[in-house]
Amino acid sequence: MSNDVVVSAQGLTKRFGSQLVFEDVSLDVHKSEVVAIIGPSGAGKSTFIRCINHLHPFDGGTLELLGHTLHGGLKSPSRAVLRDIRTRVGMVFQTFNLFPHLTVMENIILAPLDVKKVPREKAVALARELLDLVGLEHKKDMYPKRLSGGEQQRVALCRALAMEPEVMLFDEPTSMLDPELVGEVLSAIQRLAKQGMTMILVTHEMTFAKEVADTVVIMADHRVAEMGPARQVLESPQTERAQQFLRRVLEPVETMEELSAAAGQGGED
Amino acid sequence: MHTLWSAWVQYLPDYWQGVRVTLELTGASLLVAIVLGFLLALARLSTLRVLDFMATAYVEIVRAIPVLIILFICYYSLAQAGLKLSGPVAAVVGLGGFYATLYGEIFRGAIMGVDRGQKEAAAALGMPEGLVMRKIVLPQAFFAILPPATNQLSNLIKDTSLVFTIAVADLMFQANAASANNFLPLDMLLLAGVIYFLFYLILSKLLARWELNVQRRRG
Repeated sequence: MSNDVVVSAQGLTKRFGSQLVFEDVSLDVHKSEVVAIIGPSGAGKSTFIRCINHLHPFDGGTLELLGHTLHGGLKSPSRAVLRDIRTRVGMVFQTFNLFPHLTVMENIILAPLDVKKVPREKAVALARELLDLVGLEHKKDMYPKRLSGGEQQRVALCRALAMEPEVMLFDEPTSMLDPELVGEVLSAIQRLAKQGMTMILVTHEMTFAKEVADTVVIMADHRVAEMGPARQVLESPQTERAQQFLRRVLEPVETMEELSAAAGQGGED
Repeated sequence: MHTLWSAWVQYLPDYWQGVRVTLELTGASLLVAIVLGFLLALARLSTLRVLDFMATAYVEIVRAIPVLIILFICYYSLAQAGLKLSGPVAAVVGLGGFYATLYGEIFRGAIMGVDRGQKEAAAALGMPEGLVMRKIVLPQAFFAILPPATNQLSNLIKDTSLVFTIAVADLMFQANAASANNFLPLDMLLLAGVIYFLFYLILSKLLARWELNVQRRRG
């Protein structure tokens, strides 16, 4: 593991019971690198990034991150290791998952106060600063229910960043949003990338992946179909499986017949 | 009407005594039911098979038995077996032990009902399990607990009337004694019924107001 590799997965494998989720996924993520994972649903993308902060244990392979080495299998990492990893790896979810019984501000300062034991004034000051960056400072005392999806996701981003993580994971951060609200969330993520945050994101936004990501990983059929520099993978994919996936995603369907044909083939869930 | 009223007035001090006993019994039984119920819920949600099995067995057996039998077991059967409980203690153990099964299931359902994403988000922030339970799961479960828990509380208040069979001088006991005294069971039991109804009314009004407040606050 060279010095600036922050996350290194070697031959990671995950099953739910007898069901294979993904196998033999290897990936090195360097400091400040942005990795986008794309691919058809059911390929194991979300589960893979959930294995990185151990929301799901994995069954085989090795995961090195932030100075820890985790091995797949029965023995789960100690609480101290888990805590260290999770306080240093932030995560943003598809469904936002803001805590509905807490205000925006309380959502953001909860973990800094209770987990990192940051003094309250410091936590509040950082929260205000983060909210200000995403244009939501004025909503700090509202409950999540009052916010739009895009606003909720930006608050969720602030909540993760308030822990001052070294790596950020994004699990389809815009796929639950109305189309008109996608942009505000993507631009917040893009700004973060420009500041040099190391991040791994699962996304369906191809243009965004091409613009923001350094590396693109295409996962299909429970394994990595192709990975490499973003433009190269997206514009001239080498493997047949990657070409097939990108053709389906990028080329508009012309007729209803093609649409139903595509729907018929796309049964990978 | 005159006789009804004067009969009521004559026994009001006795009824007042009975009301106090009923409320004390309800409070003590509720406390036992909530504490034991919470432990039962945690045990049933535990990954330790033994705990889950024991709690499940307790819940499934105890809630299937009529409350009156449980009270008799606590008062008479335990005494026969050498454990002599006073009437009020047997009443609290019996009612609390029985209602713990109902409260336990309410708690368990509410805890399980909290969205999995909430626990994941909290875990992803590095919060340890106990903290997730205290700060994220339980506060959200609480709102799901309140309506069914209040329902069971009004059942509990009514079920305390069974304790007059094990020599506890509650409201029902006083009403029964009064009607044996003046041979006016209609009047005397009616008064007890009215009081039980008032308990119910007050409780449900309080709950409705409280729920409305919570809804307003959280938009």
